Amino acid sequence: MEIDEHVGCAMSGLIADARTLVEHARVETQNHRFSYGEPMTVESTTQAICDLALRFGEGEEESMSRPFGVSLLIAGHDENGPSLYYTDPSGTFWQCNAKAIGSGSEGADSSLQEQFNKELTLQEAETIALSILKQVMEEKVTPNNVDIAMVAPNYHLYTPAEVEAVIARL
Amino acid sequence: SAQNGLRSLRPPRSRRPRRNLIKEGRKRDTGHRTAPLRLLLQATNSGDSTTSPPSSPPSPTTAMSRRGDWVYENNGGTCVAIAGADYCVVAADTRLSVGYNILTREHSKICELADKCVIASSGFQGDIKALQKNLAARELLYQHQHNKRMSCPAMAQLLSNTLYYKRFFPYYAFNVLGGLDSEGKGCVYSYDAVGSYERTGYSAQGSGSTLIMPVLDNQLKSPSPLLVPARDAVTPLSESEAVDLVKDVFASATERDIYTVCFPLSVPRDHRLLLFIHLPLY
Repeated sequence: MEIDEHVGCAMSGLIADARTLVEHARVETQNHRFSYGEPMTVESTTQAICDLALRFGEGEEESMSRPFGVSLLIAGHDENGPSLYYTDPSGTFWQCNAKAIGSGSEGADSSLQEQFNKELTLQEAETIALSILKQVMEEKVTPNNVDIAMVAPNYHLYTPAEVEAVIARL
Repeated sequence: SAQNGLRSLRPPRSRRPRRNLIKEGRKRDTGHRTAPLRLLLQATNSGDSTTSPPSSPPSPTTAMSRRGDWVYENNGGTCVAIAGADYCVVAADTRLSVGYNILTREHSKICELADKCVIASSGFQGDIKALQKNLAARELLYQHQHNKRMSCPAMAQLLSNTLYYKRFFPYYAFNVLGGLDSEGKGCVYSYDAVGSYERTGYSAQGSGSTLIMPVLDNQLKSPSPLLVPARDAVTPLSESEAVDLVKDVFASATERDIYTVCFPLSVPRDHRLLLFIHLPLY
Protein backbone atom coordinates (compact mmCIF):
# COMPACT_ATOMS: atom_id res chain seq x y z
CA MET A 1 0.00 0.00 0.00
CA GLU A 2 1.08 3.57 -0.53
CA ILE A 3 2.00 5.58 2.56
CA ASP A 4 3.18 8.73 0.82
CA GLU A 5 4.36 9.66 -2.64
CA HIS A 6 7.83 8.43 -1.83
CA VAL A 7 7.11 5.56 0.59
CA GLY A 8 5.18 2.32 0.17
CA CYS A 9 4.84 -0.84 2.18
CA ALA A 10 4.07 -4.54 1.90
CA MET A 11 2.43 -6.49 4.73
CA SER A 12 2.25 -10.01 6.03
CA GLY A 13 0.11 -11.28 8.89
CA LEU A 14 -3.19 -9.84 10.14
CA ILE A 15 -4.06 -7.53 7.29
CA ALA A 16 -6.61 -5.59 9.37
CA ASP A 17 -3.88 -4.64 11.84
CA ALA A 18 -1.64 -3.66 8.94
CA ARG A 19 -4.22 -1.23 7.67
CA THR A 20 -4.31 0.52 11.03
CA LEU A 21 -0.54 0.91 10.98
CA VAL A 22 -0.53 2.16 7.40
CA GLU A 23 -3.28 4.67 8.19
CA HIS A 24 -1.27 5.98 11.12
CA ALA A 25 1.84 6.26 8.93
CA ARG A 26 -0.12 8.19 6.31
CA VAL A 27 -1.33 10.67 8.91
CA GLU A 28 2.18 11.10 10.30
CA THR A 29 3.73 11.73 6.88
CA GLN A 30 1.08 14.28 5.97
CA ASN A 31 1.48 16.00 9.35
CA HIS A 32 5.16 16.25 8.63
CA ARG A 33 4.51 17.76 5.22
CA PHE A 34 2.12 20.25 6.80
CA SER A 35 4.47 21.28 9.58
CA TYR A 36 7.76 21.29 7.72
CA GLY A 37 6.88 21.53 4.02
CA GLU A 38 9.08 18.54 3.14
CA PRO A 39 8.67 14.75 2.75
CA MET A 40 9.37 12.66 5.86
CA THR A 41 12.47 10.45 5.69
CA VAL A 42 11.82 6.72 5.34
CA GLU A 43 13.50 5.98 8.66
CA SER A 44 11.31 8.49 10.49
CA THR A 45 8.22 6.99 8.85
CA THR A 46 9.29 3.52 9.98
CA GLN A 47 9.96 4.88 13.45
CA ALA A 48 6.45 6.37 13.58
CA ILE A 49 4.95 2.98 12.65
CA CYS A 50 7.06 1.18 15.22
CA ASP A 51 6.10 3.65 17.95
CA LEU A 52 2.51 2.63 17.39
CA ALA A 53 3.35 -1.08 17.29
CA LEU A 54 5.24 -0.77 20.57
CA ARG A 55 2.36 0.84 22.45
CA PHE A 56 -0.27 -1.49 20.90
CA GLY A 57 -2.06 1.62 19.66
CA GLU A 58 -2.35 5.25 20.68
CA GLY A 59 -4.02 6.93 23.62
CA GLU A 60 -6.06 5.40 26.43
CA GLU A 61 -9.23 4.48 24.57
CA GLU A 62 -7.87 3.28 21.27
CA SER A 63 -4.95 1.15 22.41
CA MET A 64 -5.34 -2.58 22.04
CA SER A 65 -4.62 -5.29 24.58
CA ARG A 66 -2.55 -7.30 22.13
CA PRO A 67 0.31 -6.45 19.75
CA PHE A 68 -0.30 -5.67 16.09
CA GLY A 69 0.10 -9.08 14.44
CA VAL A 70 1.81 -7.94 11.30
CA SER A 71 5.27 -7.57 9.76
CA LEU A 72 5.87 -4.82 7.27
CA LEU A 73 8.38 -4.14 4.56
CA ILE A 74 8.63 -0.37 4.16
CA ALA A 75 10.28 0.81 0.97
CA GLY A 76 10.99 4.40 0.17
CA HIS A 77 13.18 6.99 -1.45
CA ASP A 78 14.47 10.11 0.38
CA GLU A 79 17.52 12.36 0.34
CA ASN A 80 19.67 9.39 1.39
CA GLY A 81 18.60 7.39 -1.67
CA PRO A 82 16.38 4.28 -1.77
CA SER A 83 15.99 2.25 1.44
CA LEU A 84 14.13 -0.78 2.75
CA TYR A 85 13.07 -1.38 6.36
CA TYR A 86 11.62 -4.49 7.91
CA THR A 87 9.41 -4.23 11.04
CA ASP A 88 7.96 -6.92 13.27
CA PRO A 89 5.21 -6.93 15.94
CA SER A 90 7.64 -6.07 18.71
CA GLY A 91 8.19 -2.62 17.21
CA THR A 92 11.79 -3.27 16.23
CA PHE A 93 12.94 -2.33 12.78
CA TRP A 94 15.96 -3.20 10.69
CA GLN A 95 17.27 -1.69 7.52
CA CYS A 96 17.86 -4.30 4.81
CA ASN A 97 18.99 -4.55 1.24
CA ALA A 98 16.63 -7.43 0.54
CA LYS A 99 14.08 -9.24 2.69
CA ALA A 100 11.21 -11.67 2.43
CA ILE A 101 8.34 -11.93 4.92
CA GLY A 102 5.46 -14.36 5.25
CA SER A 103 4.97 -18.09 5.29
CA GLY A 104 7.53 -18.85 2.61
CA SER A 105 10.02 -16.32 3.94
CA GLU A 106 12.79 -18.70 5.03
CA GLY A 107 13.26 -20.24 1.63
CA ALA A 108 12.81 -16.90 -0.06
CA ASP A 109 15.35 -15.24 2.25
CA SER A 110 18.04 -17.78 1.42
CA SER A 111 17.35 -17.42 -2.32
CA LEU A 112 17.63 -13.64 -1.94
CA GLN A 113 20.96 -14.07 -0.18
CA GLU A 114 22.27 -15.99 -3.17
CA GLN A 115 20.84 -13.82 -5.92
CA PHE A 116 21.07 -10.27 -4.54
CA ASN A 117 23.94 -7.96 -5.32
CA LYS A 118 24.22 -4.19 -5.06
CA GLU A 119 24.50 -3.56 -8.78
CA LEU A 120 21.10 -4.92 -9.75
CA THR A 121 19.08 -2.80 -12.13
CA LEU A 122 15.36 -2.28 -11.60
CA GLN A 123 14.49 -4.75 -14.35
CA GLU A 124 16.76 -7.47 -12.94
CA ALA A 125 15.34 -6.88 -9.48
CA GLU A 126 11.79 -7.29 -10.78
CA THR A 127 12.69 -10.59 -12.41
CA ILE A 128 14.52 -11.94 -9.36
CA ALA A 129 11.75 -10.94 -6.96
CA LEU A 130 9.08 -12.56 -9.07
CA SER A 131 11.06 -15.74 -9.67
CA ILE A 132 11.64 -16.19 -5.94
CA LEU A 133 7.95 -15.58 -5.32
CA LYS A 134 7.15 -18.21 -7.93
CA GLN A 135 9.29 -20.73 -6.07
CA VAL A 136 7.39 -20.30 -2.81
CA MET A 137 3.90 -19.89 -4.25
CA GLU A 138 1.74 -22.94 -4.63
CA GLU A 139 -0.33 -21.71 -7.56
CA LYS A 140 0.94 -20.51 -10.90
CA VAL A 141 2.01 -16.87 -11.08
CA THR A 142 -0.52 -14.83 -13.09
CA PRO A 143 -1.13 -11.06 -13.42
CA ASN A 144 -4.18 -11.38 -11.21
CA ASN A 145 -2.74 -13.16 -8.20
CA VAL A 146 0.52 -11.23 -7.90
CA ASP A 147 1.08 -7.54 -7.05
CA ILE A 148 4.26 -5.68 -7.77
CA ALA A 149 5.02 -2.15 -6.59
CA MET A 150 8.12 -0.05 -6.82
CA VAL A 151 9.36 3.24 -5.37
CA ALA A 152 11.67 4.77 -7.94
CA PRO A 153 11.60 7.58 -6.80
CA ASN A 154 7.78 7.71 -6.53
CA TYR A 155 5.49 4.90 -5.49
CA HIS A 156 3.88 3.01 -8.34
CA LEU A 157 1.71 -0.10 -8.22
CA TYR A 158 2.01 -2.11 -11.41
CA THR A 159 -1.04 -2.61 -13.60
CA PRO A 160 -1.87 -6.19 -14.63
CA ALA A 161 -0.36 -5.43 -18.05
CA GLU A 162 2.95 -4.40 -16.50
CA VAL A 163 2.95 -7.50 -14.26
CA GLU A 164 2.29 -9.59 -17.37
CA ALA A 165 5.39 -8.05 -18.95
CA VAL A 166 7.54 -9.07 -15.97
CA ILE A 167 6.08 -12.59 -15.94
CA ALA A 168 6.93 -12.94 -19.61
CA ARG A 169 10.60 -12.34 -18.75
CA LEU A 170 10.75 -15.10 -16.14
CA SER B 1 -57.30 15.47 42.19
CA ALA B 2 -56.63 14.18 38.68
CA GLN B 3 -55.41 17.61 37.58
CA ASN B 4 -52.85 17.74 40.41
CA GLY B 5 -51.69 14.26 39.50
CA LEU B 6 -51.12 15.33 35.89
CA ARG B 7 -49.24 18.42 37.01
CA SER B 8 -46.89 16.40 39.15
CA LEU B 9 -45.89 14.32 36.11
CA ARG B 10 -44.73 17.41 34.18
CA PRO B 11 -41.08 18.46 34.63
CA PRO B 12 -40.65 21.40 37.06
CA ARG B 13 -40.48 24.78 35.34
CA SER B 14 -37.35 26.81 35.97
CA ARG B 15 -37.80 29.88 38.17
CA ARG B 16 -35.33 31.98 36.11
CA PRO B 17 -36.68 33.89 33.08
CA ARG B 18 -35.78 32.38 29.73
CA ARG B 19 -32.80 34.09 28.07
CA ASN B 20 -32.84 35.02 24.42
CA LEU B 21 -29.34 33.87 23.53
CA ILE B 22 -29.50 35.16 19.96
CA LYS B 23 -30.24 38.72 21.09
CA GLU B 24 -27.60 38.38 23.79
CA GLY B 25 -25.03 37.24 21.28
CA ARG B 26 -25.59 40.29 19.12
CA LYS B 27 -25.22 42.64 22.08
CA ARG B 28 -22.16 40.96 23.57
CA ASP B 29 -18.75 41.94 22.25
CA THR B 30 -18.10 38.72 20.35
CA GLY B 31 -14.77 40.01 19.18
CA HIS B 32 -13.17 39.88 22.58
CA ARG B 33 -10.67 37.34 21.39
CA THR B 34 -10.06 38.94 18.04
CA ALA B 35 -9.71 42.49 19.33
CA PRO B 36 -5.96 42.34 19.84
CA LEU B 37 -5.63 41.30 16.18
CA ARG B 38 -7.76 44.20 14.96
CA LEU B 39 -5.71 46.66 16.91
CA LEU B 40 -2.50 45.03 15.78
CA LEU B 41 -3.48 45.49 12.17
CA GLN B 42 -4.59 49.05 12.85
CA ALA B 43 -1.26 49.83 14.44
CA THR B 44 0.71 48.44 11.54
CA ASN B 45 -1.46 50.01 8.87
CA SER B 46 -1.28 53.47 10.30
CA GLY B 47 2.53 53.49 10.12
CA ASP B 48 4.50 53.64 13.32
CA SER B 49 6.76 56.56 12.59
CA THR B 50 3.98 59.08 12.04
CA THR B 51 1.56 58.30 14.89
CA SER B 52 2.02 58.69 18.61
CA PRO B 53 4.09 56.00 20.34
CA PRO B 54 2.03 52.83 19.92
CA SER B 55 2.71 51.54 23.39
CA SER B 56 -0.54 53.21 24.50
CA PRO B 57 -3.88 52.20 22.98
CA PRO B 58 -4.22 53.60 19.45
CA SER B 59 -6.92 56.19 20.28
CA PRO B 60 -9.15 56.91 23.26
CA THR B 61 -12.29 56.32 21.29
CA THR B 62 -11.79 52.71 20.25
CA ALA B 63 -13.79 50.05 22.04
CA MET B 64 -10.69 48.20 23.17
CA SER B 65 -9.21 51.03 25.21
CA ARG B 66 -12.39 51.13 27.25
CA ARG B 67 -11.59 47.56 28.27
CA GLY B 68 -8.14 48.63 29.48
CA ASP B 69 -6.38 45.36 28.64
CA TRP B 70 -4.06 46.27 25.78
CA VAL B 71 -1.47 43.57 26.17
CA TYR B 72 1.06 44.43 23.47
CA GLU B 73 3.87 46.94 23.23
CA ASN B 74 6.03 47.86 20.28
CA ASN B 75 9.70 47.77 21.17
CA GLY B 76 10.70 49.06 17.75
CA GLY B 77 13.64 48.10 15.62
CA THR B 78 14.20 47.04 12.06
CA CYS B 79 15.29 43.79 10.46
CA VAL B 80 16.64 43.30 6.95
CA ALA B 81 17.68 40.23 5.00
CA ILE B 82 19.16 39.83 1.52
CA ALA B 83 19.66 36.52 -0.30
CA GLY B 84 22.52 35.91 -2.70
CA ALA B 85 23.63 33.04 -4.89
CA ASP B 86 25.51 31.28 -2.08
CA TYR B 87 25.05 33.53 0.95
CA CYS B 88 22.39 35.27 2.97
CA VAL B 89 22.83 38.46 4.97
CA VAL B 90 20.53 39.01 7.95
CA ALA B 91 20.83 42.27 9.87
CA ALA B 92 18.96 43.97 12.70
CA ASP B 93 19.58 47.02 14.82
CA THR B 94 20.08 46.62 18.56
CA ARG B 95 17.98 49.36 20.15
CA LEU B 96 15.13 48.35 22.44
CA SER B 97 12.67 51.16 23.09
CA VAL B 98 9.27 51.80 24.58
CA GLY B 99 7.45 54.98 23.69
CA TYR B 100 10.03 57.75 23.50
CA ASN B 101 12.43 55.99 25.86
CA ILE B 102 15.37 53.70 25.19
CA LEU B 103 15.48 50.55 27.32
CA THR B 104 18.82 49.28 26.08
CA ARG B 105 21.26 49.82 23.25
CA GLU B 106 22.63 46.31 23.08
CA HIS B 107 19.69 44.01 22.51
CA SER B 108 19.94 41.44 19.72
CA LYS B 109 16.86 40.71 17.66
CA ILE B 110 18.53 37.86 15.81
CA CYS B 111 18.40 34.20 16.78
CA GLU B 112 20.31 31.40 15.11
CA LEU B 113 17.84 28.52 14.89
CA ALA B 114 19.85 26.02 12.83
CA ASP B 115 23.22 25.99 11.17
CA LYS B 116 21.67 27.25 7.93
CA CYS B 117 18.76 29.25 9.31
CA VAL B 118 18.60 32.57 11.15
CA ILE B 119 15.56 34.55 12.25
CA ALA B 120 15.33 38.27 12.91
CA SER B 121 12.15 39.68 14.47
CA SER B 122 10.95 43.12 15.42
CA GLY B 123 7.87 44.10 17.37
CA PHE B 124 6.97 43.17 20.92
CA GLN B 125 10.03 41.63 22.53
CA GLY B 126 8.04 39.57 25.02
CA ASP B 127 6.34 37.71 22.18
CA ILE B 128 9.55 37.59 20.16
CA LYS B 129 11.51 35.93 22.95
CA ALA B 130 8.73 33.37 23.41
CA LEU B 131 8.48 32.71 19.68
CA GLN B 132 12.22 32.30 19.14
CA LYS B 133 12.49 30.03 22.19
CA ASN B 134 9.58 27.95 20.89
CA LEU B 135 11.18 27.58 17.46
CA ALA B 136 14.58 26.70 18.89
CA ALA B 137 12.99 24.00 21.04
CA ARG B 138 11.08 22.58 18.06
CA GLU B 139 14.29 22.54 16.04
CA LEU B 140 16.02 20.55 18.76
CA LEU B 141 13.16 18.04 18.84
CA TYR B 142 13.34 17.72 15.06
CA GLN B 143 17.07 17.12 15.29
CA HIS B 144 16.57 14.28 17.73
CA GLN B 145 13.68 12.72 15.85
CA HIS B 146 15.01 12.91 12.32
CA ASN B 147 18.75 12.83 12.90
CA LYS B 148 19.41 15.99 10.91
CA ARG B 149 19.15 19.73 11.42
CA MET B 150 16.16 21.61 10.13
CA SER B 151 16.52 23.12 6.69
CA CYS B 152 15.55 26.74 6.14
CA PRO B 153 12.43 25.93 4.05
CA ALA B 154 11.26 23.52 6.76
CA MET B 155 11.74 26.17 9.44
CA ALA B 156 9.87 28.63 7.24
CA GLN B 157 6.82 26.35 7.15
CA LEU B 158 7.08 25.68 10.88
CA LEU B 159 7.21 29.39 11.69
CA SER B 160 4.16 30.03 9.53
CA ASN B 161 2.22 27.30 11.33
CA THR B 162 3.37 28.50 14.75
CA LEU B 163 2.18 32.02 14.01
CA TYR B 164 -1.16 30.91 12.61
CA TYR B 165 -1.72 28.67 15.62
CA LYS B 166 -2.22 31.91 17.54
CA ARG B 167 -4.42 33.49 14.89
CA PHE B 168 -6.84 34.94 17.43
CA PHE B 169 -4.26 36.23 19.90
CA PRO B 170 -1.19 36.72 17.74
CA TYR B 171 2.49 36.99 18.42
CA TYR B 172 3.27 40.68 17.89
CA ALA B 173 6.33 39.78 15.89
CA PHE B 174 7.29 40.79 12.38
CA ASN B 175 9.76 38.20 11.24
CA VAL B 176 12.35 37.76 8.60
CA LEU B 177 13.84 34.30 8.18
CA GLY B 178 17.09 34.01 6.29
CA GLY B 179 19.42 31.18 5.42
CA LEU B 180 20.58 28.69 2.84
CA ASP B 181 18.26 26.15 1.25
CA SER B 182 19.16 22.52 0.59
CA GLU B 183 20.97 23.49 -2.65
CA GLY B 184 23.10 26.07 -0.88
CA LYS B 185 21.34 29.09 -2.41
CA GLY B 186 20.39 32.03 -0.25
CA CYS B 187 16.75 32.26 0.78
CA VAL B 188 14.77 34.91 2.61
CA TYR B 189 11.23 34.42 3.91
CA SER B 190 9.22 37.35 5.22
CA TYR B 191 6.13 37.11 7.39
CA ASP B 192 3.22 39.10 8.72
CA ALA B 193 2.00 38.76 12.31
CA VAL B 194 -0.25 35.76 11.60
CA GLY B 195 1.97 33.60 9.46
CA SER B 196 1.40 34.55 5.85
CA TYR B 197 4.79 34.07 4.23
CA GLU B 198 6.58 34.26 0.93
CA ARG B 199 10.05 33.35 -0.23
CA THR B 200 11.70 36.48 -1.61
CA GLY B 201 15.15 37.72 -2.56
CA TYR B 202 15.22 40.42 0.14
CA SER B 203 13.01 41.81 2.85
CA ALA B 204 12.74 44.45 5.56
CA GLN B 205 10.40 44.35 8.55
CA GLY B 206 9.86 46.57 11.55
CA SER B 207 9.62 50.27 12.23
CA GLY B 208 12.08 51.28 9.53
CA SER B 209 10.77 48.88 6.90
CA THR B 210 8.79 51.52 5.01
CA LEU B 211 11.97 53.57 4.71
CA ILE B 212 14.19 50.64 3.70
CA MET B 213 12.06 48.57 1.31
CA PRO B 214 11.90 51.19 -1.46
CA VAL B 215 15.68 51.49 -1.40
CA LEU B 216 16.11 47.72 -1.61
CA ASP B 217 13.53 47.57 -4.42
CA ASN B 218 15.51 50.18 -6.27
CA GLN B 219 18.89 48.51 -5.74
CA LEU B 220 17.98 44.85 -6.02
CA LYS B 221 15.15 44.99 -8.53
CA SER B 222 13.38 41.69 -7.80
CA PRO B 223 11.58 40.01 -10.72
CA SER B 224 7.83 39.80 -10.31
CA PRO B 225 6.58 36.53 -8.80
CA LEU B 226 3.96 36.45 -11.56
CA LEU B 227 6.51 35.85 -14.30
CA VAL B 228 6.40 32.56 -16.17
CA PRO B 229 8.84 30.75 -16.20
CA ALA B 230 9.69 31.67 -12.60
CA ARG B 231 12.83 33.75 -12.29
CA ASP B 232 15.28 33.56 -9.43
CA ALA B 233 14.87 36.35 -6.92
CA VAL B 234 18.35 36.12 -5.43
CA THR B 235 20.60 39.03 -6.11
CA PRO B 236 23.68 38.70 -8.33
CA LEU B 237 25.60 41.01 -5.98
CA SER B 238 28.62 39.64 -4.16
CA GLU B 239 28.56 39.10 -0.41
CA SER B 240 30.62 42.18 0.43
CA GLU B 241 28.49 44.36 -1.86
CA ALA B 242 25.35 43.09 -0.15
CA VAL B 243 26.82 43.81 3.29
CA ASP B 244 27.71 47.34 2.19
CA LEU B 245 24.20 47.82 0.88
CA VAL B 246 22.75 46.70 4.18
CA LYS B 247 24.95 49.10 6.10
CA ASP B 248 23.97 51.97 3.81
CA VAL B 249 20.31 51.14 4.09
CA PHE B 250 20.44 51.14 7.88
CA ALA B 251 22.27 54.45 7.80
CA SER B 252 19.44 55.92 5.73
CA ALA B 253 16.72 54.53 7.97
CA THR B 254 18.51 55.83 11.05
CA GLU B 255 18.25 59.40 9.74
CA ARG B 256 14.48 59.45 10.00
CA ASP B 257 13.27 56.59 12.18
CA ILE B 258 13.65 57.17 15.91
CA TYR B 259 13.37 53.48 16.69
CA THR B 260 16.26 52.44 14.45
CA VAL B 261 19.90 53.34 14.82
CA CYS B 262 23.20 52.09 13.60
CA PHE B 263 26.82 52.96 14.17
CA PRO B 264 29.37 52.34 11.46
CA LEU B 265 31.58 49.80 13.28
CA SER B 266 33.27 46.93 11.57
CA VAL B 267 31.01 43.95 11.77
CA PRO B 268 31.99 40.58 13.23
CA ARG B 269 31.91 37.73 10.76
CA ASP B 270 30.10 34.66 12.12
CA HIS B 271 29.95 32.17 9.25
CA ARG B 272 31.71 31.96 5.94
CA LEU B 273 28.55 31.71 3.93
CA LEU B 274 25.98 33.09 6.35
CA LEU B 275 26.65 36.51 7.78
CA PHE B 276 24.48 38.15 10.34
CA ILE B 277 25.27 41.61 11.47
CA HIS B 278 24.40 43.03 14.84
CA LEU B 279 24.65 46.77 14.51
CA PRO B 280 25.28 48.27 17.96
CA LEU B 281 24.32 51.87 18.45
CA TYR B 282 25.91 54.39 20.74
